[in-house]
Parts: sequence; structure tokens; C-alpha cells
Amino acid sequence: MSKKRVSRRQFLSYSLMGVGGFMASAMLMPMVRFAVDPVLQHGGAGDYTATKQKADELTETPVRVDFTIVDREDGWYKSDESYTAWVYKDGDTIIALSPVCKHLGCTVNWGGDENHPNQFFCPCHAGRYEKNGMNVAGTPPIGPLDEFDVMVQDGLVYLGTTKPNTLV
Amino acid sequence: MHWNAKDMDTYLQQKEYIDTLLVPLVRLETDPTKMKSSASSTEFLMHLSTFIETQFKGRMMVMPPFTYTQSTNLTDMAATLSKDVALTPFKHVFYVTTDSEWTTTDIEKEVIWLPAIPLESMDKSLRQSVIEDQLKQILPLLTKKWANG
Repeated sequence: MSKKRVSRRQFLSYSLMGVGGFMASAMLMPMVRFAVDPVLQHGGAGDYTATKQKADELTETPVRVDFTIVDREDGWYKSDESYTAWVYKDGDTIIALSPVCKHLGCTVNWGGDENHPNQFFCPCHAGRYEKNGMNVAGTPPIGPLDEFDVMVQDGLVYLGTTKPNTLV
Repeated sequence: MHWNAKDMDTYLQQKEYIDTLLVPLVRLETDPTKMKSSASSTEFLMHLSTFIETQFKGRMMVMPPFTYTQSTNLTDMAATLSKDVALTPFKHVFYVTTDSEWTTTDIEKEVIWLPAIPLESMDKSLRQSVIEDQLKQILPLLTKKWANG
């Protein structure tokens, strides 16, 4: 043990520094935490929405799957948004296509045209798409249907966001 | 297409494809005993027109609803509407309403009358399927008109 005596003045300034530092850090910590919070937030599984569709009930024929994203936030305004997808199985992979026509945004249906039962059909201007979403040449659409990110969890199909078609 | 600036821009560029105008006609009852049912049928009609809009976005412009109160003279209103709507370049014009008085009122073009279904007590998926069923009812009317050019 050192023989150096701690004077009253020193003791007071040490304890003031200690308490002051503690208080400063109590103020700064939340600020730093708030500042870096957006970086720490991770997307991933949170971006997927559960649907009622069981994965093992899917077949080669596209079925309509409706799902709702609850409490979607747009600024301070919260709302539920409904979406639809055409989901089918291609071998072992599950494919979900967006029903929004690439022409002017109508809703397409599977087998909506009697003459082309195995295609997606847009009732507005008779646009047609192959099963993989490829637009049929000679009909108004100018591109293939968008695709949803798909994930299976606990036997249920989860759908994410749309992305440009990767199948064609 | 909705009647807003963004969709109107698309419309002006794609006039040859978007050839149909849908006009919801909403009757408002100001009699306190009928206000509830009037609100309910308005809700139904607005849900239906929004649904029609998503289905046929690329072919239809859905107008903001025309609202009137119970003592409005429908014959006059029909005449004014027909005259003004005729100025738009739309090839097909449909009026959609839950007010049965329109079925006996002369108005140019087609009036689609539907009985109002109270949606307020239904859960979301039931409501959706009811609206879809209603659309299936009027779909033949639309496609027939479109097929005849």
C-alpha cells in the first residue's frame, strides 16, 4: 500500500468526477442507442407474412392465396393491406406470382379465359401469361408477372415482398 | 384508375385502353331513422367500387361518388349527369347504385342496381367473399358491353 495520502480536496474531486461521469453517461447512452438503432434493426423473417395456405396442399395448379399485412405503417398512419398471390408447386419449389397485370395493373386470374385454361388471363384487355408468368407475345402486357419471396414455416406458406420475375 | 392526378396522367397516356367510366351514385338519407341504413349501404357501395377498381384498374376510371339527398329530383339529376358525362371521351359509362329509384329513372347508359348488403357485422374474409360474389353478378354486364365494342 502506498504511503501517499489522499487529500480531502482530491477525494472530493475524484468523487465529483465519478458521479458526474455516471450522470453524463446516463444521458449519452440512450442518445447513442437511438442513433444506431436503425442500423441494428434487421429485416429477414419480419418481412414475411403468414398465409392460411398449407404448403403440402399445394399442387401444380395455381391457387389464389389472400393475405393481409396488418398494421402496415405509413408514417403515423396504420392500416391493414390485403394482397393476393397465385401460388403453385413446380417440382419441390413453391412459386408465388403477383396477380397485378404488367399492362395497366388489373388483376389477372388463372384460367380466366376458356380458350386458354392453362394461362393467366387479364379480363381488361385479354392479356395472357404462361404459368411461369411469362407474358404471351401478341397480347398487351409488356413484361412477365412479378414474383413473391416465398418461405415455408410450420407447414404454412409465408409470402414476402414482390421482386421481378426470376423464372423467365 | 382512381380520379386522382397520378392515375389521370396514366389515363391521358393510355386513353385507348381505359375506355370505361364507373360512377357510383350514393343516396344519403337525412331522416334520423334511416341514417343508419343509408350509411350502411354507402359503405357497401364504396367497398364494391374500390374492389371493382382493383380488379379492372387498367380499363376503368372510377369517379368519386355522386351523392344526393332523398328529395333530390332524380330525373333532373339524370339529365344533367348524362349531358356532362357525355363530354368525357369514355366509350362505356356505368352507373352503380343501391338506390332502387334509379331503376325507374331514365338515364343514358347503363345503371347497375344492387341491393345493399350490410357489411358492418361481417369479418374481413366474409366481407371479401360477399363483395366478390357481387362482382360476379355484374361481371357479365361489363364483359357483354366490352365485347360489343
